[in-house]
Amino acid sequence: MSKDAELVKKLKDPTQKEKAFSELLDVYQERLYWHIRKIVTTHENADDVLQNTFVRVYKSILKFEEKSSLHTWMYRIAYNESIRFLEKNNKKSYHNIDEVPASNLQVLFEDAYFNGDEVHKKLHKIIAGLKEKQKRIFHMKYFDDISFRQMSEILETSESTLKSTYYSVVKIIEKKIFL
Amino acid sequence: MKKAPENTNQNNFLKGGFKNDISENHNASLGITVPEGYFSKSKRSILDKIKEEAASEAPKEIKKPLVFWMRPQFKYMAAASLVFILSLTFWLQSANNKDADKSTIEFLSFSDDNLINALIVNDAEFETLADAILINEIVIKAELSEQRMDDLFFNSLFVEDSLIDNYTDDQFLETIIL
Repeated sequence: MSKDAELVKKLKDPTQKEKAFSELLDVYQERLYWHIRKIVTTHENADDVLQNTFVRVYKSILKFEEKSSLHTWMYRIAYNESIRFLEKNNKKSYHNIDEVPASNLQVLFEDAYFNGDEVHKKLHKIIAGLKEKQKRIFHMKYFDDISFRQMSEILETSESTLKSTYYSVVKIIEKKIFL
Repeated sequence: MKKAPENTNQNNFLKGGFKNDISENHNASLGITVPEGYFSKSKRSILDKIKEEAASEAPKEIKKPLVFWMRPQFKYMAAASLVFILSLTFWLQSANNKDADKSTIEFLSFSDDNLINALIVNDAEFETLADAILINEIVIKAELSEQRMDDLFFNSLFVEDSLIDNYTDDQFLETIIL
C-alpha cells in the first residue's frame, strides 16, 4: 500500500483522523499553498484559501473514492477554492484564471511578500499573458514539480500533449524574458 | 525580508527546473515569499479550525437519538406496553365470555323458574306474563316470517320457479310444523 493510500485509510478512520490530518498537512500544506498563491496573488489571500481548502478536504474525505491520487484530488479542491475566492472578492464569476483581470499583477507587486526585481516582474507579466491551460501546465511542472502523468490526471489531457505544451511555453518565456 | 536572487543568466534561465525546496524555488523564480515560520503557524490554525468544525458537527450527530420515542430503551418499553395491552384485552374478553355463558344458563333457569312460579302465583298474573311472551316471541316472529314470505313472492317473479318451489316447501313445512 502506498503512503498516500495508507494516509487516506487513516483519514477515513474516525479514531485516527486527527493525527492523520496533521500528517497530511506536513506533506501537502506547503505545496498547496504555492499552488494557491500563484492564483490568488497575495499571501493574505493564499492563507485564507489554504485554510478553506483543508477544511473542505477534512469534510469531504469520506466522499473521496480514490479514483485519482490524493494529491490530484487535493490539487483540484485547491484550484476550485481559489477560483471561488476570486469570484467572491471581485463579485464576478470566473470559469478559469484567464478571466481574472490583469490588474491583479499590480496587487502582487505591491504585496508585502513580493521581493522580486524587474526580471521577476517581467516573468509574471509573460505568464499572465499565457492562455489558461499553458499557464497551469507551466506552473504545475516548473514550480510545483508535478509529474506529467499526474498532470494528465488533473487536467484530463494526454501526457504527450502536456509535454509539447510545456516545452513550447518554456521557449516562449525564454524568448520574451530577455528582449 | 531576504532579497530574491537575481535572474540575469540568460543561458540558465528556466533550465534548472524544480529545486528541492519549493518555497526557495518560488522565491528565486518569482520573487514571492512567506512570513518566517508561516507554515508551522498555519498548520496550528488549520488544526484549530478543523477541531472547531468537528465540534460544530458533533451536536448534529447527537441530535438524532434525542427524538424521544426513537431511543432504543423507549422502543422496548413501547413493545412491552403493546404486548401488555393485547394480553389484557384477550384476558378481559375470555372473562366476559365466561359471564355470558353464566347469563345464558341463568336465562334458561329463569324460564324454568317462571313455570315453577306459575304454580305459586295466581293465574291472572301468569296469563299476563304468558301474553307478553306470546306477543314478543311468537307474534313478532310470525310477522317477520310473513314479511319474508312476501319477499319470496316478489322474488319469484325474477327467480327460477323450481328454486322457489324447493325453498317454499321447506319454509312452509318448517313454519307449519313449528
